[in-house]
Amino acid sequence: MKLVLYSGGSEDENRFLNLRALELTHVKSPKLALIPSSSFDAEDDFKFFVQEFSEFGVQRFMLFCVDTPYTKTLLQEVLKSDLIFLGGGNTFYFLKHLKKAGMFGHFEKFLKRGGVLCGLSAGAIVLTPHVHTASFPHFDRDENPWDMKNLSAMRLVNFEFFPHYKNSKRYDAELLHHSKKSKLPLYGCGDGGGIIIEDQQISFVGKCYQFYLGQKLNVPHCK
Amino acid sequence: MGNTKLKESRPSKETSKETIGYPKFKEIDGSHPLKVSVPEAVVEYQVRTRHGGQVAFFNFELARELGLIPDNHPHELTKELKEEILHTFSIVIINEYDQMNNFNFPKDEIRQKTYMATRYLQLQHPCKKGTTSGDGRSIWNGQITNKGKSYDVSSCGTGATKLSPACNINKKFYQTGDPTVSYGCGYSEKDEGLSSLFFSEVLAKNGLETERVLAIIEFPKGLAINVRVHENLLRPSHMFNHLKQNNLPTLKRVVDYYIERQVKNKVWKNIPSDPKSHYDYFLMKVVETFAQMSANFEDQYIFCWLDWDGDNILMDGGIIDYGSVRQFGLYHHEYRYDDVQRWSTSIKEQKQKARYIVQTFAQIVDYIKNEKKKSIDDFKNHHSLQTFDKRFFDYKNQNILMKMGFNLKYSEALLSHHRKDIEDFRSDFTYFEMAKSGKGPQKVPDGINWNAIFCMRDILRELPQVYLSRGINGIVNEAEFIDIIKSSYATKADLKSSLRRNLKIRSFQKSYLKLINLAAKKCKETPEKVLLDVSMRSSVINKYDRVTGDSISTIVEKVMAKKPKLSAEEISLILKEFTEYQNLNPDKERRPSNFEAEKEQSHILKGMLQIVREFRDGI
Repeated sequence: MKLVLYSGGSEDENRFLNLRALELTHVKSPKLALIPSSSFDAEDDFKFFVQEFSEFGVQRFMLFCVDTPYTKTLLQEVLKSDLIFLGGGNTFYFLKHLKKAGMFGHFEKFLKRGGVLCGLSAGAIVLTPHVHTASFPHFDRDENPWDMKNLSAMRLVNFEFFPHYKNSKRYDAELLHHSKKSKLPLYGCGDGGGIIIEDQQISFVGKCYQFYLGQKLNVPHCK
Repeated sequence: MGNTKLKESRPSKETSKETIGYPKFKEIDGSHPLKVSVPEAVVEYQVRTRHGGQVAFFNFELARELGLIPDNHPHELTKELKEEILHTFSIVIINEYDQMNNFNFPKDEIRQKTYMATRYLQLQHPCKKGTTSGDGRSIWNGQITNKGKSYDVSSCGTGATKLSPACNINKKFYQTGDPTVSYGCGYSEKDEGLSSLFFSEVLAKNGLETERVLAIIEFPKGLAINVRVHENLLRPSHMFNHLKQNNLPTLKRVVDYYIERQVKNKVWKNIPSDPKSHYDYFLMKVVETFAQMSANFEDQYIFCWLDWDGDNILMDGGIIDYGSVRQFGLYHHEYRYDDVQRWSTSIKEQKQKARYIVQTFAQIVDYIKNEKKKSIDDFKNHHSLQTFDKRFFDYKNQNILMKMGFNLKYSEALLSHHRKDIEDFRSDFTYFEMAKSGKGPQKVPDGINWNAIFCMRDILRELPQVYLSRGINGIVNEAEFIDIIKSSYATKADLKSSLRRNLKIRSFQKSYLKLINLAAKKCKETPEKVLLDVSMRSSVINKYDRVTGDSISTIVEKVMAKKPKLSAEEISLILKEFTEYQNLNPDKERRPSNFEAEKEQSHILKGMLQIVREFRDGI
């Protein structure tokens, strides 16, 4: 299984992760598909996505929105791609539509045949067992106006992910508080950082911290 | 009648009110050069203050463009600004009925200058020469000049004039607000203003010429004064009436006025110095404008009920009077609007109507130049019509390349060397675009339609992506093609495979890929690079959710029903977000993104987008 979890940040900050994600495809001319969290301004996201990855010589891109009706033809084409990138945005909205479209099953098959699944921020959180980390801290959380109760997500990893982490007391207070109630380790990554999983191997990029059972630990990273 | 009893009012307390904060508003006082240049083309009315109005909407962006407010004015209706808007636009005419009944209005409420209703030809009037028709419930507030450009300002809902159809059919003057007549009562409604507002702002954002709404003043019972602005609000029908009446001096003066205005506004920059050649230049401009406008309307599925009277359209091809204007989601070429006494033209007949308008202008120019009026039939084979036909198809070729997603560089390369290949693709494209449902004609709320079944925007958006994924030769099979192109109007029977359709699917793709390869070859790039560029641009141009007439009507209903009522500033903000979202220009400036920029729209905007989606295939 090949996963890349991005925290967020600028194109420059994510250059290393982008390169690693492409390397994981082991394909000379990979096909990439962007699934944005919402179709609202998705074309803008697509443009920037193409800009970021065409720098590495990639020429084959697709845009696929899950919150508008789509054709079987395009879905099948997306699932045949080498890398699928789940964008950021409102985690609850994204989760709701991924579930409604039955995408989790498709992603499992995609991963089984060797595809690379990447997620940025909300897109990364939905790869974990549930999306509770989108609900805090109170000063920087996603709205859930749909009042979604079932927050279970893809369960592709056995940890929680907290994007855009800032090494500060107010963040730590909320993350430590959460970790006391959770049975899973929670990884907080700053922008430009992230987690790469290739089969059984996990590696960290940028400054990452583990919050587990009320403790905060530094995580050694490869870059 | 009309302007026979006009009196000069003395400056009153109300009219001489100092406008320190917003001095530009003072220019809008009924003065207009048309009144001076062609007095017989207008009917002048005294106006008085209409009380009880509230500012329901104010277009800050447009007001800045006009210089009415400074560039740095906050997005806020200050008390002073509100008063200024009401003082300028909350007016009603003192019409013939008022005068005949000797109504006395407080002198200090009567404005100093007169305001004009303009005369023009209208097919719904019994007199087909335009002697009694024109602005039935509008007056022109005046003209405003800013940064070297002048704009006409007019208001709808300012009272019943003697030019309304009701007045002339029933041969009587009506009191403004008379509940026994609807259109003839001289009032307009808030929902009309909001529909025009949302529609015109979206179309303006996408580069179409159109009137724009500057303000909406609302009154009890859903009534409103809707203020609109455009660089030049003259319509062909403002000239056609004088032609029909064989009134050469007036016709010449209206045409001269229009020419002079276009030159002054620097819209026409290379007009010949010989005054006699002005009219040929004028005709050439008309040909160009109407060829482009009719091609654009057809390709963007804009239904605008063009007809022989030259009403419902501006001289510069701009859209006016949104009452019957629609934008279809599919090419519903059989839709007709039911105007009670008559059916409208259909979208595909618009070209012929535009062509007839050009023919009429050829007659006008000949009449002015030779001072002898010939029959319209004498201009059936006029060279201007041949130019019109050629230019119409030139624009159709440009439009199809733009819709496919080709940028200017690729388009120019294809247009200059591969016209035949573009036309081949256009022919295949038209085959699918024109396909109708086997269900036959259906009644729709405001007319009749025979549903189109294929969504061409979907195929243009998805096809390049599939090719990119499969490789340039990885064609899409028949079932996949139909899966992509089918709309919500298509029934199972409509989608049945046929030999002819399958051949067309193959031909469509062959022509499509040929254009990609030709553009690549001409510009010395790989087909994949061209395809990627086309794919990205096409995803914007052919966005899944594009507004239709139905969606605008439903959005306006929601805005009207919103409790608590939306303030003018709130409508303005929602409109801004909405029109930004509906801006389908692939070259517009994009915000920087890391694919997770805040996608938090206001609750009401989300509701609007949902409506746009629901009605995306409609009329």
